[in-house]
Amino acid sequence: MDIITQLQEQVNAIASIAFNTFGTLQRDAPPVQLSPNYPEPPANSNAAEDAASLADQPKLLSAELVKAAKQFDALVSALPLTEGGEEAQLKRIEELQGENDAIGQELQKQLEAAEKELKQVQELFGQATDNCLNLRKPD
Amino acid sequence: MATATYPPPPPYYKLYKQYSQDPDSAPEPPPPVQGPYVLYGANYTTDDVLPGLEEQGVRQLYPEGPNIDFKKELRSLNRELQLHMLELADVLVERPSQYARRVEDISLIFKNLHHLLNSLRPHQARATLIHILELQIERRKQAVEDIRRRREEAQRLLKDALGTLDGT
Repeated sequence: MDIITQLQEQVNAIASIAFNTFGTLQRDAPPVQLSPNYPEPPANSNAAEDAASLADQPKLLSAELVKAAKQFDALVSALPLTEGGEEAQLKRIEELQGENDAIGQELQKQLEAAEKELKQVQELFGQATDNCLNLRKPD
Repeated sequence: MATATYPPPPPYYKLYKQYSQDPDSAPEPPPPVQGPYVLYGANYTTDDVLPGLEEQGVRQLYPEGPNIDFKKELRSLNRELQLHMLELADVLVERPSQYARRVEDISLIFKNLHHLLNSLRPHQARATLIHILELQIERRKQAVEDIRRRREEAQRLLKDALGTLDGT
């Protein structure tokens, strides 16, 4: 996968980790007492294990988030971005096109010369074999 | 349940009866559409360019200019994103009813991030073109070299054969 697609996937991954994090924390959070008039809700029987996992979850989830952000930074530094911008690239493309044309013409010339030589050799070979077959001795 | 037959093909085919004998007797195909067109009620444009952020009504967070330092902007947007998420966490703890503004800020940062990445694509396309041209030049040089070598070898063989023939 190319680097820009990887970057885009990483951005989406950061987004999904973020909303999973906030959603999980919000869903599993214990209720908060808003005013001293209302009594505390009765504590659950499994309050102990809830408290343990509730303390771990933010750590794990935020570690995931920071890891994803670091991965994004690493991908950004891996971008093969050549300084110079659009004009430099277009200039380079023109140069390469010119070079390509020149060497294409050279290739065409060589090809024509080689084909001419091939035809000559074939003609001579034909003549030699004709002589061999007709006169039984090279001319 | 009644099943409907397919609609009939468009009647233009009758105009092409003499096509195999006389290609000019039939109408030319229509030229390609130019400019914006409407398809199934939606407007499309033939000019495929990435629309700017302002046109989509999204505020642009990174500085605009002819040459944007993509790496720097991407990194700073990443930092801002993390800062905003910390702010959202704080807001949820202290003033839970004000989450909307923070969430909007976070989505704005994401839109900017994606727009930056999309605007890297033309650069990538040009770089791919440069790479392909370089590869093609390399292949052509190789082909020229090969042909030259084979021609020289053929000349050498012919000279050798001439030498052996003269020798006998």
